[in-house]
Amino acid sequence: MRREHTIADRVTNSSLWRAVVRHGYPDTERNQALIIASNVFLHLHPVKIKRYATKVTYTFCLGGLSFFMFLILVMTGVLLMFYYVPSTTQAYQNMQDIEASVTFGQLMRNMHRYAAHGMVIAVFLHMCRVFYTGSYKPPREFNWVVGVILLFLTFLLSFTGYLLPWDQLAFWAITVGTTMAESAPLLGPKIRFLLVGDNEIGQATLIRFYTLHVIFLPLAAALMMAVHFWRIRKDGGISGPL
Amino acid sequence: MADVARRPAGAAGGISDEKRQRLLELVRGRTAARPTDLAEDEVMVWPTLVVVEALSAVIFTFLLLVASIAVNPPLVDIANPTVTPNPSKAPWYFLNLQELLLHMHPALAGVIVPTMALVLIAAIPFVDRSPLGVGILFTSDKGKKITVFSAIFTTIVLIALIAFDSEIGVTRSLSGKVAPVVYEQLIPVAVMVGFSVVLGVLVSKIYRPTRRELIIALFTGFVVSYFVLTIVGTFFRGYGMEIQLYWPWTNLHEGAH
Repeated sequence: MRREHTIADRVTNSSLWRAVVRHGYPDTERNQALIIASNVFLHLHPVKIKRYATKVTYTFCLGGLSFFMFLILVMTGVLLMFYYVPSTTQAYQNMQDIEASVTFGQLMRNMHRYAAHGMVIAVFLHMCRVFYTGSYKPPREFNWVVGVILLFLTFLLSFTGYLLPWDQLAFWAITVGTTMAESAPLLGPKIRFLLVGDNEIGQATLIRFYTLHVIFLPLAAALMMAVHFWRIRKDGGISGPL
Repeated sequence: MADVARRPAGAAGGISDEKRQRLLELVRGRTAARPTDLAEDEVMVWPTLVVVEALSAVIFTFLLLVASIAVNPPLVDIANPTVTPNPSKAPWYFLNLQELLLHMHPALAGVIVPTMALVLIAAIPFVDRSPLGVGILFTSDKGKKITVFSAIFTTIVLIALIAFDSEIGVTRSLSGKVAPVVYEQLIPVAVMVGFSVVLGVLVSKIYRPTRRELIIALFTGFVVSYFVLTIVGTFFRGYGMEIQLYWPWTNLHEGAH
């Protein structure tokens, strides 16, 4: 019983620890199963998984990477929100302040921007991986459609964020983008007005893009991700050779 | 249960209360639902998969940090609706659509083509329902060859088309001679549908593909188109969105000032 006397054992045997963590040290298969099953986040996973599904050269971690980028974006995005006011008179100044005087502000902005690019790339490549391994085939056809919706949401998330720095690059990129939407047959001008909120890009556009970017689209994406991850499990786990 | 409970003790075929209690016993051995019974081709998620996930999270956090410390993304002058930079470009992942915009009617390039692309991609699993080849990258050797063939074919065709439209110009040659609908809509649609059909027919003749392999050819055509058009739109379009064959990074930034 020498183990009982280590500090680690005292901590892990305390009633506080036992109240939070419902499993022992995961060096037995029983505890390894419990650690997955009793943790809400780890419970995204099954307890056991097919061996081929853990091969990095099969999935290239791309789905996981997309989710990882999303998490980085949420964290850095929340920090940026503390300093950013979506106003045409303040936004640009806020950006300069974030870069010049906020502690780690430049780092947060850079990470947010690069993770956003990274997420678009990861999601697109993830779609390619799923396609080339034939993983969209029944019973996973609905999850493939959910994935296409998530690709679309990723584009929208990135596009709405692109306006927020309120510099020339942002302003004119969104001008080009919304002009494209305007050319849609029949509904084009209405769609553009819905996006821009005015006849030209200005305060109404900035607040719309901001609200979409920080609340609506992340929630929509999180919802679709929940469905996406849930469906992986329900459709028989990660695809593999028959 | 209610039936059993109402049955009088000692009735024919029944069990007396005393005996019924004795039926409850601990059975040693394996239960049917032990989580730890691994089949041969299975592994525990903890640690096998969780380790891979944690490692890749660490690696990519590190890469992101390094990139963020090394290079600052541009923050150019404050937005000014009265000064239009030349060129004005959309975010890079839409530059493929902006490239299309140079060759056809904006409704086609900006809305109809991307919508069709997304709808067709979403429809793939409802067209290709056979479980053949699941879990195998490119399905088969033939699938690999078809992917390479389709990628090369699409790249050559796209570069040729862009060069043709930039040098000779469909709009330039035809405007004033025929109705705009011909060179803005009919010809671009014919070119896009036509080359997809040519690709399909070529792959069918050369490889005798299954339906899955034919879809591989078409999907590869889409992915490579997205890639080539994005590269052209990002790096090879300069002042006035004219083709420019030198590195245009400075141009992108100057344009924004």
